[in-house]
Amino acid sequence: MSTLLKREVVYLITGVVAVTMFIDFFFFPKGWDVASTLQTWAMIIGNIALGLGAVRLLLFYGKQVQKRTVGVWHYSVWLIVYFFICLITGLAGYITLGHQDKNPIYYWNFTNVYTPLGQALYAMTGFYIFSAAYRAFRARNIDAALLLIAGCFTLLTNAPIGEVIWVQIPVIGRWFLDIGQVPGMRTFMIAGAFGLLAYGFRALLGKEKGFYAEVGGQ
Amino acid sequence: MDERGDYLRVNTLIVAGRVAALGLLIATLALFYVYMYLGKKGREVQIRALPAMEAIPEAVGRAAEMGKPLMYTIGIGGGLSDASQGPQILASMSIMGYAARECIRSGVKMDAFIPVADALPLAEETLRTAFLAEGKVEEFSPDIVRFISGQSPYCTAVLGYLQRERPASNLLIGGFYYESVIIAEAGNTIGAIQIGGTNNTHQMPFLIATCDYMLLAEELFAAGAAIGKDPDVLGTIKGEDIMKMVLLVLTGVGFLLGFARVPFLIDILKV
Repeated sequence: MSTLLKREVVYLITGVVAVTMFIDFFFFPKGWDVASTLQTWAMIIGNIALGLGAVRLLLFYGKQVQKRTVGVWHYSVWLIVYFFICLITGLAGYITLGHQDKNPIYYWNFTNVYTPLGQALYAMTGFYIFSAAYRAFRARNIDAALLLIAGCFTLLTNAPIGEVIWVQIPVIGRWFLDIGQVPGMRTFMIAGAFGLLAYGFRALLGKEKGFYAEVGGQ
Repeated sequence: MDERGDYLRVNTLIVAGRVAALGLLIATLALFYVYMYLGKKGREVQIRALPAMEAIPEAVGRAAEMGKPLMYTIGIGGGLSDASQGPQILASMSIMGYAARECIRSGVKMDAFIPVADALPLAEETLRTAFLAEGKVEEFSPDIVRFISGQSPYCTAVLGYLQRERPASNLLIGGFYYESVIIAEAGNTIGAIQIGGTNNTHQMPFLIATCDYMLLAEELFAAGAAIGKDPDVLGTIKGEDIMKMVLLVLTGVGFLLGFARVPFLIDILKV
């Protein structure tokens, strides 16, 4: 039974969905109701999975608290407490006022805690990029030297001092950004698309193990 | 000829502008099938080596020697229903299953960070199957898979994990957004051996700069097929390479015709 559910049923659903999407893309100029319904189902199933994720999250961090895992458990307590604060206030807002954002506590948490923390982390990316670039920009061989030269021009194009050093720097840097890197990126996109097509073909024929939660290797 | 002077006008059941795409798609799939058939019939299929895949046992071995865990993550990407990110997550599952088998065999603890909710059951099932394949299903625990919702919480959870647990190896394979540089750079700081892989062109430079090995673009999708070394499965990779050559020729011819101001090829592709 488990093999039937894991392989044959998945195989059947994959085949039906693939054929439906294929027909929708090539033969229905204004979209096909069946295809758009299937896409809506996929979104609904994805959201149901979010509930499963919440349960798994609570179970995992609940265990950390229960075991008093050193250096972790107090954060886990905070996570669980905050999870329930957001859940209860969000639900209260949705039930009583029609939208979770209308609950002032939920809204305050979202705009004054979650959003600034997210933005702070995003801003930190700059430092990570800087340290990664520092290691990458070393002329160890001819390829790395070319990368270094192109990187310097791009960097100076975006920094106001570049134009002050030499007026042509932004022109060259813009060429790297707008023209120089485009063929390379498009090559990756085309190659990736063929890879995706081959993957889909193998999945449709039941040859792709990961698609069916199976494992390869000896 | 129409008002643009196009050579071909096709008014059929097929959506306008997608006839050429359909033709190319059918030709590609036919080629995949032919090479799969030839592979099945015993014709040897040679494909290029994937150093990143060959490095996975090395990454596991390092973790075993150091007595530290191996971290695996698929990136926040999007859901499985996302047209560009979903397949990357699915392709990553094949690699995760392979890495998990290597870990189980070497007694290495694997920690998998899966921030995509709808991929959670698939990840759990893949790991359970890996334990089953190695005859150690009783050692499987759902806690191997950690779910964190949201991009920033996922990043911070992984950063905290990297600092606390200091895994010996770090595998970042799947659909990544800005978390790629954060996680990979943090992994680099703790000295982990890193294997990256993505089809997102805007994240490739970050992973190339920070990882020791990399699965670039279509290599990510080919990796799962390369694990088993089944000749019929490898045939699709061969077919893919042939189609890339065809496209390369088309690009070259289009380039020359463009110079000569002959729109014939462009018109055909636009049909």
